Amino acid sequence: MKRKYIPILIVIMIALLVTACGGPKKNRYEAQFLVLFDTATTVIGFAETEENFSEMANLVYDELKIYHQLYDIYNDYDGINNIKTINENAGIAPVVVDKKIIELIRFSEEAYEKTDGQVNIAFGSVLKIWHDYRELGIDDPLGAKLPTMEELQKAALHTDIKGIIIDEAASTVFLPDPDMRLDVGGIAKGYAVERVSDTLVEEGYLDFLISVGGNVRASGLRGDDRSMWKVGIQNPDIDSGKGDLFTASLTDLSLVTSGDYIRYYTVNGERYHHIIDPETLMPARYFAAVTIITEDSGMADALSTAVFNLPFEEGVDLVESFESTEALWVFHDGTQKESQGFKKMIGIQ
Amino acid sequence: MKFFKKSDILIAAVLLIVSLGVYLVYDSIYGQSETRAEIYYYSELAKTVELNSGETGNFSISQEPDVVFHISDDGTIAFVESDCPDKVCIKTGALDSVGQYAACLPNGVVLKIVPAGERNVEDPDIVVGR
Repeated sequence: MKRKYIPILIVIMIALLVTACGGPKKNRYEAQFLVLFDTATTVIGFAETEENFSEMANLVYDELKIYHQLYDIYNDYDGINNIKTINENAGIAPVVVDKKIIELIRFSEEAYEKTDGQVNIAFGSVLKIWHDYRELGIDDPLGAKLPTMEELQKAALHTDIKGIIIDEAASTVFLPDPDMRLDVGGIAKGYAVERVSDTLVEEGYLDFLISVGGNVRASGLRGDDRSMWKVGIQNPDIDSGKGDLFTASLTDLSLVTSGDYIRYYTVNGERYHHIIDPETLMPARYFAAVTIITEDSGMADALSTAVFNLPFEEGVDLVESFESTEALWVFHDGTQKESQGFKKMIGIQ
Repeated sequence: MKFFKKSDILIAAVLLIVSLGVYLVYDSIYGQSETRAEIYYYSELAKTVELNSGETGNFSISQEPDVVFHISDDGTIAFVESDCPDKVCIKTGALDSVGQYAACLPNGVVLKIVPAGERNVEDPDIVVGR
């Protein structure tokens, strides 16, 4: 009689033993940088020693910093022509740039086509107006104002992405329209994360998680127990008291959220956030947050902005037009909707 | 007439021990972690705060006295004051679960929630979404 129970105990003991052995022990490490892309960057990895992890984290930092400087539209860097330089030379002259800028513009043109114009890096003149009003409103809340529709519409006349002239042989970019400005805020972080992720894999780092301001790229598995990376998707409503909406189990996938709860300013008691609908030229009001999960971090970044700016049904159509791509919509009343395969993709059945 | 045999007691005892064992293993892997807040000033760990200790109130770190944190009696912690222009750190709201973080970039301060003990397999590596 007793013998029957022995296998159960053995199974449990083996399970315990298996978790206790298997290769050299790897520890979990995290690094955080605050100086890139005007946001917090987190790198997580598993390594036998802190030095080993630091090598990887330093590589992420060094690579991201290159993209950060090239894709910056607000600051100059010694000896570097960046997107700010291109903007300053609009209507004046072509600017010789690093091929990483040309590659980003080509990728952005592809995103423009695939999203039916929802993602437009040539929308900078409109975004600059909102940016300036937002900065003024944050500095002086009582004097906060909205831009006039007249100035927004005037700026919107200078947003034709097809007007960007690229000479790949000469490695130059030229904006012939003197009033056109590039703004890569809705795509550059994700694109840079994807490129840096590629570099890590080329260098032999297969298991890591990078988040640049919530643009998350999960590569491989956790290095200790080979479990999937876990990424919590927070309730965008800070005051709701509700915990995370989902915990996504991810491997070789990117997750990006666009939300209206953090970057905003207030005019006459009403919040105006930073994601501007290219149709209305006003902050989109459909959702509190949209999360996209797909493999390519750059496309996840672009799509999260695009879907945030579209009514639900149109967003569903757009998401479905992309392969292996899923989305989560959170409405302002707290209701949620998911694309058909969303739960399956994040490991919830 | 006997209601149970000696072997029945043995079976019950074994089942109890096995259940307890399974529960303990399951809880250590999947259970909710006790949480701790870590506050970093640039790359230096400036302070750790146990969130389940019942301590409440406001405090700062010596490196950045103009940034004030608040711990509530419900075990949440938040940035409540900062001399930064955009107040993104304060707008991020109260944090209480593993993987959540808030950052005040102009002041170089990061607040993040980590497990107080061993990390469980279900603990999020990072939490995003605001």
